[in-house]
Amino acid sequence: MREEIQNLKNEALAQIMEAKDSNELEGLRIAYLGRNGKLTKLIKEIKGLSDSEKKEVGRLINESKNAIFETITSKKNQLKVVKREWFDPTIPGKKYKIGKLHPTTQVINEMYEIFKHLGFSIIEGPEIESDVYNFEKLNLPKDHPARSLQDALYIEEPDVVLRTHTSSVESRALETLKPPFRVVVAGKCYRYENVNATNNAMFYQFQGFAVQKGISMADLKGALYSFVRSFFGEKREIRFRCKYYPEVEPGAGLDLDCLFCNKKGCSVCKGRGWIEMLGSGMIHPNILRSFGYDPKKISGYAFGMGLDRIVMDRFKISDIRSLYNGDIKY
Amino acid sequence: MRIPINWLKEYVKLPGKLTDLTDKLTMAGHMLDKLDKVNNNIVIDLELRGNRADCYSILGIAREVSAIFKTPVNYPKIFNKASKAPKLNDIKLKADTNYLRRVMIATISDIKLTPSPLWLKQRLEEYGVPSINNIVDLSNYVMIETGQPLHTFDFDRVGKNLTIRQAKKGEQMTTFLEETINLTEDDLVWANQTSVLSIAGAIGGKVHSISNETKNVLLEGASYNQANIRRSVHRHNLLTDAGIRHEKNLDPNLVEFGIYRFLELIKENKWGKIENNVLDYYPNVTKPWKLSLNFDYLNSLSGSITEPKKVVEILKRLDFKILKEDLKDLEVACPNYRTDVKSEEDLIEEVLRIDSYDKIPSRVLSLEVPKDITLSYINQEKDLKDNLTSIGFDEVISLPFVKEDMRELNKSLINSGSPVKVVNRPSPDIEEMRMTMLPNLLEFTQKIINERGTEVRLFEIGKIYFKKTNKYHELRKAGIIYWSKGNANFFKFKGYIESLFSKMNLKNFKFSTADLPITNITNSYNITSSGQVVALGGEIEDCYYLEIDLDSLLSKNLKPSVNLWPKYPPQIEDLTFVIPERTKIGEVVLSIKLVDDKIAEVELKDIYKDSYTFRIWYQDKNKTLENDEVEKIREKIIKELNHRGVRIKN
Repeated sequence: MREEIQNLKNEALAQIMEAKDSNELEGLRIAYLGRNGKLTKLIKEIKGLSDSEKKEVGRLINESKNAIFETITSKKNQLKVVKREWFDPTIPGKKYKIGKLHPTTQVINEMYEIFKHLGFSIIEGPEIESDVYNFEKLNLPKDHPARSLQDALYIEEPDVVLRTHTSSVESRALETLKPPFRVVVAGKCYRYENVNATNNAMFYQFQGFAVQKGISMADLKGALYSFVRSFFGEKREIRFRCKYYPEVEPGAGLDLDCLFCNKKGCSVCKGRGWIEMLGSGMIHPNILRSFGYDPKKISGYAFGMGLDRIVMDRFKISDIRSLYNGDIKY
Repeated sequence: MRIPINWLKEYVKLPGKLTDLTDKLTMAGHMLDKLDKVNNNIVIDLELRGNRADCYSILGIAREVSAIFKTPVNYPKIFNKASKAPKLNDIKLKADTNYLRRVMIATISDIKLTPSPLWLKQRLEEYGVPSINNIVDLSNYVMIETGQPLHTFDFDRVGKNLTIRQAKKGEQMTTFLEETINLTEDDLVWANQTSVLSIAGAIGGKVHSISNETKNVLLEGASYNQANIRRSVHRHNLLTDAGIRHEKNLDPNLVEFGIYRFLELIKENKWGKIENNVLDYYPNVTKPWKLSLNFDYLNSLSGSITEPKKVVEILKRLDFKILKEDLKDLEVACPNYRTDVKSEEDLIEEVLRIDSYDKIPSRVLSLEVPKDITLSYINQEKDLKDNLTSIGFDEVISLPFVKEDMRELNKSLINSGSPVKVVNRPSPDIEEMRMTMLPNLLEFTQKIINERGTEVRLFEIGKIYFKKTNKYHELRKAGIIYWSKGNANFFKFKGYIESLFSKMNLKNFKFSTADLPITNITNSYNITSSGQVVALGGEIEDCYYLEIDLDSLLSKNLKPSVNLWPKYPPQIEDLTFVIPERTKIGEVVLSIKLVDDKIAEVELKDIYKDSYTFRIWYQDKNKTLENDEVEKIREKIIKELNHRGVRIKN
């Protein structure tokens, strides 16, 4: 019987080596290893053998089985290399529709993520706002020179406006939240504007503020630098300079080097070499006092930036209107 | 403001490199906006701070340069002070207003009116104002040099009885630019007995200005209530060079400097005879005010250490007088012209900005991290957006206003409350705020259809606005719209919505027909979850629309759960029934499910005319069902449906 097995194995291996294609190989597999295959039949004959022979022959059959199987597999692979069926990978895939987030949402999400790592929570506030929260409580009394920069859309003159900035959420937060807190807000703001390629009556702002005992300009600078470096890249040059905003004292502006001209001055940066990115500073003592805090015991910082220009820059959109008029083709 | 470098150089020594100058000025708060060249002279255009009235002048910037670069200011020569008097050569001035802080008047007789000499012309050209004649040009020159706006009248035309008062209703004035302005009672004016001569702080009248016939000049320099001038300047759009200075908080002491500087230049150029007396009305003299500064506070606010010695030295460079100094505190007298410095924090900024913000260190997470108070609906919105994109819908954002031709649709989902409207609309499209997300989504859909799109799946998440019982309301909504060329139907749309709800883990929701306030929307329905309406939907212009109320969803239990594959395989078969018209298929499906608890799932697979094919899963948790067991359940189904007039096909 041993000889029979050996012969069968040799015969199988020889036929496998001669095989021309995968169909022939499959036929051989069935002929030897299939349910009624030649080798399988031999297994059935084991019954009549003595115990010691059973062991010996069983091992032999197993070895032969493995050898035949491995040879078929390697021959199959060999045949594939040599010759393959016609296959065209250039055929276009069947379209599968997936949805996309609006560019502004993508930018906001990314910013939220960065600020979460800096210990910030996310809050929101109303868009229809009273003069009190939008201006008065932010150290912007009536007739303040800074008010002309942001002509409001009025719902009721002079007391109800569509918020002109997300700072209105700051005054609401100062009223309701207990320090220490760090929060960011992103949302729609409005202004009286004749709509054109660079100005829209609605725009998005991203704002943050932190109130905590001992918080300083160094913490503000640290948070802003971390944000700028993760959002705009490690290599950007940053300018952190004195700037006036009525809501803060001291106030600071943050500029980034203009990538379009390498700080040489071009139309993008209006010849300045720098792009104004955001405004910031320490929350004005008048504001802190008006919410019942002693500025010497508890301090805070605030920062804010327009989002639309950042979105336009990132997604190479040249007309601000196309962000919000359904022009984006997904 | 445009600063010609040559002019600036007259009062202060500049660093050798221009970028040194502009970089440091930028860091200290006066950003370089543009560089320009006029008459081959460099002009730097600085973006000045709105609260630094003193900086709107060449001398103001010279003072900043002096403080930054530690070099002295050389002030220009002024006229030997003449004696001051309440009355002047019979001129009677009545100040009939609280808005006047100070006024000085001088007269110059026998003036020599000529075109301006070259130096004066060039200076003005470099700054950017046109040259008119030597007298008018000189008042502009002194304003740019000192920051004090001055105004000259034809003395013989204005007469000797002058009043500064608020305008009367109906009064008008024609400016020297030939523009007629209708004045309000809030506008401050100069007037004589018969007419208005000028709008205080903003612009002179045509009739009383200097003309070729002018022989004698009345020169005035004044300081007004900043807020009042600001209102007038913006009301009548009079952002003149004088206006942009007067609308800021100017130092009343500057009036004197401006007037005497003007007189000095008249004298030097021999352009007229200066009368000896000068009228000065200055009821409440502004004196330097005191502020204190605590060194510890300075350091804790900046997050860095500035040595007291350095603090003192910087403040001195900025003209602050040190009154008292000990280890902890400093008391200073503020220079009159620094009307922006009113608090300790203002002083701190002065020290930090002159020392440079570059010296402030950058610290991250040095303090305890406050607890996370992120609002739950922010996460909900984010998840919803991700879920909607995952089922193939694109997000759009629109201006939350409804265009005129879409206003009818604005009331389609809400019938209580009225739309919120902008009273000062910049255009008709930016007036009425949306009460539903539908109009804009429909417009965007139309746009895609016009661009020959074959399918539209859009959503917008945002607020709707309305007014009800005198209160403004803002509600968060998700609008979802679907259109497909030739083959959109409710069956498909509902499939998307059900997938969405399943991703949101929203269970036990029910679709029912519901009427909407307007009839443009057909096949309208609502979706309820535990008895509460969470969404409204319907069909309009071949589009399928659904608006979900996010706030009412927020309270629902949306906890995620998973289903495991059952241990024993199901038996699956398709049964086709003939169903009479106007039968609610949802109820048929439900009644099949209720026949036996071994019916694991029922799915509508196909509809052909009145034939509906359902795929039914028979499954037992504890064993594999035998054919005869399935048979029995099937018979129960057929019997149950027969009661409803539904019969099995074949």
